[in-house]
Amino acid sequence: MTLIHAVTTHNKSLYEDQLAQYFRLRHDVFVSERGWEQLRRPDGVERDEYDNLNAVYLLALDGERVVGGQRLYPTALPHMMSEVFPGLATRGVPRAASILECTRYFVVKERRTGRTDCRLLAAMQEYCLEAGISAVTAVVEMWWLPRWQQVGFKVRPLGLPTLIENEPCMAALIEVSQRSLDQVRQVAGLRGSSLHRENAAATHYERVPHVAA
Amino acid sequence: MFSYADEAFAFVENLDRLATPAAILDAMETSLSRFGFDSFIVAGLPGPGERVERVVLLKKWPAGWFEIYINRDYIRHDPIIRRCRNAVQPFEWADAPFDPKAEPRSLEVMNRATDFGMKRGFCLPIHGINGYEACISMSGTDLDLTSRTKPALHLMSMYAFERIRSHLNPAPIPGLKRLTGREREMLAWAAAGKSAADTGDIVGITERTVTAHIVSACQKLEATNKTQAVARALQYRLISI
Repeated sequence: MTLIHAVTTHNKSLYEDQLAQYFRLRHDVFVSERGWEQLRRPDGVERDEYDNLNAVYLLALDGERVVGGQRLYPTALPHMMSEVFPGLATRGVPRAASILECTRYFVVKERRTGRTDCRLLAAMQEYCLEAGISAVTAVVEMWWLPRWQQVGFKVRPLGLPTLIENEPCMAALIEVSQRSLDQVRQVAGLRGSSLHRENAAATHYERVPHVAA
Repeated sequence: MFSYADEAFAFVENLDRLATPAAILDAMETSLSRFGFDSFIVAGLPGPGERVERVVLLKKWPAGWFEIYINRDYIRHDPIIRRCRNAVQPFEWADAPFDPKAEPRSLEVMNRATDFGMKRGFCLPIHGINGYEACISMSGTDLDLTSRTKPALHLMSMYAFERIRSHLNPAPIPGLKRLTGREREMLAWAAAGKSAADTGDIVGITERTVTAHIVSACQKLEATNKTQAVARALQYRLISI
């Protein structure tokens, strides 16, 4: 069964294989399939400056195999919407400690008709609810909007659709709420959590004063 | 000065306050008229053999045109619908190709539409999850349809669609358990006025089994009796009549 694993800087050593797969898949999906040529790299691995210790990855894993993923990044730091696409958010780029940006979302081709999308979307809501995040921003192709809405996400447009590489795209803010989480689970017939946290205690240790003794 | 962006954002924000399909229709009429559109339809794309009337969510079409469209079975020949099934991005009607010689019925659809003042138009396909397909198609005689106005129309249409869809197809209350196919089938027969004994005869199972399915459906829908279960199943579009 597919589970969504939260991979952070605190547990990434447990996911070395999967992260390597993930960065290769990003090249497959965004460069080979979608044709975002400026991301093309000779080694077939797609990484950028936002793949740093502040990024959290929600990876859809079927056993050891990566079948989808998304990256969450703090909007309080320079991020893609503020640095690359500020022109899309004409109503202002939301920036706050309680807002994350979602980028590089994908599901591998053969899983696009199943429930992997819903699991990833549910996991995004669930991860954010637990982390005290109130909203997620994203720049997406317009065809995402009805899909989000169909699974119960409340989406605020941050600007009008704008052509990027000939596709109308928009900057949007998605509310994080228990209601949206319930609804995406309901639509997909998901019972309970899809989100798995390996070694979740690691984040807790961070809060223990390390200067003692 | 009229700002397309402001119009679109105001329209989107106002949608949340609209409580009825009639109010949504009014709001669309007012906003779309500012772009020169005086007719529009919001509809799912019918499957093979599915009737158009059943998939229309909301429409403001010239008097008489819908009847002609239905009676002449235009849905099977409409080049806009055909393109809509394969298109992801919005397109102008003029960009929905057909061969007037090989496809005279397609030519007929477009010519008759022109008779009703619908020569130029804009169609916005919607592809949801689970293969759900729908569109908003709009027309008028004096359109402000340019690369400047299209993004605003695109945004407004996507939000209007969602508002209508969620109104007419309300999501089941979170937490309700999913009905099995058999349970839905039993409720559908009940909705058609059949008793448990009738249903058993029709479906080829015992009355006792029919009742067991209905009882189970009642529990899942948190309904106190069969009548309430049928009402809820209709409300949530789990069955239709």
